[in-house]
Amino acid sequence: MDIEKLLKELKAQLFALLEGNFNEFKPQLQKEITLFLEQSKDKLTRWTLLLADQSITKDEFEWLIKSQKDLLTLKALQTAGISKIRINNLKNSIIQTIIKTVFMVI
Amino acid sequence: MKSLKSIYLILISSLIIFSCQSVKTALFDQYSYQQTTAIKVEASNVMDKATTPFSNNKEAVEKLLLDVDKLVEYEKNKPDNEITFAMWKILSDKEKNLLAGFFKRWEEKGSFSPVFLQEAKKQVTDALDLLIQYEVKKDKQSKDNLVDLINLNK
Repeated sequence: MDIEKLLKELKAQLFALLEGNFNEFKPQLQKEITLFLEQSKDKLTRWTLLLADQSITKDEFEWLIKSQKDLLTLKALQTAGISKIRINNLKNSIIQTIIKTVFMVI
Repeated sequence: MKSLKSIYLILISSLIIFSCQSVKTALFDQYSYQQTTAIKVEASNVMDKATTPFSNNKEAVEKLLLDVDKLVEYEKNKPDNEITFAMWKILSDKEKNLLAGFFKRWEEKGSFSPVFLQEAKKQVTDALDLLIQYEVKKDKQSKDNLVDLINLNK
């Protein structure tokens, strides 16, 4: 099975779903689809091979794909949270610098 | 000079108060960290049994899901904790395909094949790892805040 071809076809099919719909969010959705496929490539490959040799059923394959979507949602939330922590740390450093500098010149 | 110093201090205090409002995050919580780690270990043990009938493991699953519910409630009421709570909501949602969704499917199907179990279990434990790693990241922020507080009082 040509996985690269499959992923390419999958991407084309998903992009086609957007045609004529969601115009307002199209660039963002296209970006999210691409990211999902990139981050899930290894798992998609493994699960597709397991499905092809009937080690898992279609129903199980579908469950795993949906779990990957949920997992990526968690990853996005975690990334957003870590960004907030970094911003807070940066703000603390800025405040420390301001205080030190002001105290030095007074 | 003294009054100038006071003005600067007021300005800086205002800046601190203002800057803390927009991107506040809950600080590291030892209880959350311990409970999440314990749930991951317990979930892993219970999931390992999913090749056997659900009915044989119903009690263990119910106990685990009760522990999850307790922690979700705890996270829900913690201030500035929207992200951790949102992550737990996904994990504990039976209609999603992670922790609670895994157990719902097990109950519906009776048991899993070893191959599917291996793949599904990895998805669930990866999800719990994301929560644990996020809590650990908060630890650094807590330390930094403490150091800042000490330095401000010098």
